Amino acid sequence: MEDGIKSDGASSPTADDEALAEREALLRSIIETSPNGLITIDECGQILSFNPAAETMFGYQADDVIGKNVNCLMPAPYRNEHDAYIERYLKTGEKRIIGIGREVIAQRKNGEVFPVDLAVGEIRLADRRQFAGFIRDNSARRAAEQSVHTLRSELLHVSRLSELGEMASALAHELNQPLTAIINYLEACHRLLERDENADHRQTGRLMQKASDQARRAAQIIQQLRKFITKGETEHKFEPVNSVIREAAELAMVGSRQLAVTTEFDLAAGLPDIMIDRVQIQQVVMNLVRNSVEALADVEDRMLTVRTHQTADAAVQIDVIDAGPGLPDEVAQRLFQPFVTTKPGGIGIGLSICKGIVDAHGGRLWTTANPEGGTAFHISLPIDRNRRAPHV
Amino acid sequence: MSDRTLIYVVDDDDAVRDSLEALLLAEGFDVQGFGSAEAFLADGDPASADCCLLDVRMPGKDGLTLLQELDRDTATLPIIVMTGHGDVPMAVKAMKLGAVDFIEKPFDTNVMLTTIRSALQSKAANRLRSKVDPAILENLEKLTPREREVLEQLVAGRSNKEVGRQLGISPRTVEIHRSRLMEKMTAGSLAELVRMAIDAGIEPAASTSTPT
Repeated sequence: MEDGIKSDGASSPTADDEALAEREALLRSIIETSPNGLITIDECGQILSFNPAAETMFGYQADDVIGKNVNCLMPAPYRNEHDAYIERYLKTGEKRIIGIGREVIAQRKNGEVFPVDLAVGEIRLADRRQFAGFIRDNSARRAAEQSVHTLRSELLHVSRLSELGEMASALAHELNQPLTAIINYLEACHRLLERDENADHRQTGRLMQKASDQARRAAQIIQQLRKFITKGETEHKFEPVNSVIREAAELAMVGSRQLAVTTEFDLAAGLPDIMIDRVQIQQVVMNLVRNSVEALADVEDRMLTVRTHQTADAAVQIDVIDAGPGLPDEVAQRLFQPFVTTKPGGIGIGLSICKGIVDAHGGRLWTTANPEGGTAFHISLPIDRNRRAPHV
Repeated sequence: MSDRTLIYVVDDDDAVRDSLEALLLAEGFDVQGFGSAEAFLADGDPASADCCLLDVRMPGKDGLTLLQELDRDTATLPIIVMTGHGDVPMAVKAMKLGAVDFIEKPFDTNVMLTTIRSALQSKAANRLRSKVDPAILENLEKLTPREREVLEQLVAGRSNKEVGRQLGISPRTVEIHRSRLMEKMTAGSLAELVRMAIDAGIEPAASTSTPT
């Protein structure tokens, strides 16, 4: 388009003026209608122009801000440092933002702080320089990202709750055991003391001690549960894989004692800590272990293996292997899709959620047939992704 | 006392078993504990004990299986089963297999001791199960046909929700019938209500969809 204007303008001097006017009109139109904010400043940081998109974005009229220092559009501490940025650039020529662009924080007239993408161009004139800033308001995109993030963590929380809901009667049983014992021990003390004021204190003391041991047992179960149903923000930290896995598997096994499942832990020593969200990975392991326990209900040899080891491709692998009847082919292929289930009461979202969690950790979740019969689930989590925490 | 009473406790949970032993000892009973149904069968002598507290949920052979096997050789030992709270279906099965009563964990100590004492009496009376308290039969007469239906559903071990589905009424309505039932039958708990119904020979209602 520019070429067209030039060639038109080359024909005559009046045409030159006309072309210049035309080009100016075009430029003005572009600036006026640009959806992005466009602000030009001089070498001192004084605002020279402020387009309508910038007016809408910041809430100032152009007349309010032209002639003012551009730092009035940013919050502290940038507000106080901006003059020094320009000065440093003019002195050293070192480009930190010009031609690079990045996300910075801006401030509206009403004081609201918001994220923007800023690209800065330099305009070299005969005797001076100007800078043009192109600004895109990111707050809406951010809000959308945030709400997806929130929804996702809500979903994970709800699925953890529903997981526990399914286990409710098993958990009630598990809590009733220590509670029953506590009542019995204390009632025994009570009766001994009531019958005989000189009852053997060592005997009653021992019973009381046993009661408090059982209270601790109950408290421990509740503590495990609370950790698991915690709703807090996702939190990625370096975690020791083995203890994370063991805790989750033990919680999943709660109440399956009478099924007499033999669980073998084969946890490799010396694994490096890996960057994970503990609760989420525990949710995955719990889900897999519970699936396995269910798969074992109908077989004679109720053997479950939970294994961790380091693989050649710098990952930690977790295997949950059962000796159950195995998965029918047509289910195995669609296993991680939502709403695929073999369980009468299931809605089939457990494994698709698990896969989502593992994917978000940069890992892999897959299944193989156990050569000795049954199913093996594998989770592989990369060790070397320590620089940045994943956004889940 | 020279003539001591021996009570067996069969529970796989060490703490529950140990605490029951302590409590029953404090009450003046002799106690012997077993950590599994297998241990009980190997080392126990049903003929020498006076009463047995049996946990239904155990790894290996569970309480119901043990009841089934015991019924054949030793019908004289009164057995009280211990179930989880609200596990009525399990309790009903156990009663049908010949348990004299059931208590729900965690149990009220007085309720448990009363249950044991009445089991001991029933042993003394040589388990005259046919002798039903006439008051129970009298109370049954007072029930409306609908209440009777609800009772038969409860004896089948169904929850309010399931009963409602079976009878085509809301769980709330079932709850109302149920509290009336308890009142008319002077039952202190659902467990007691079910036991009286079983004693009186009330048959559990068959399911309209799946067999019980």
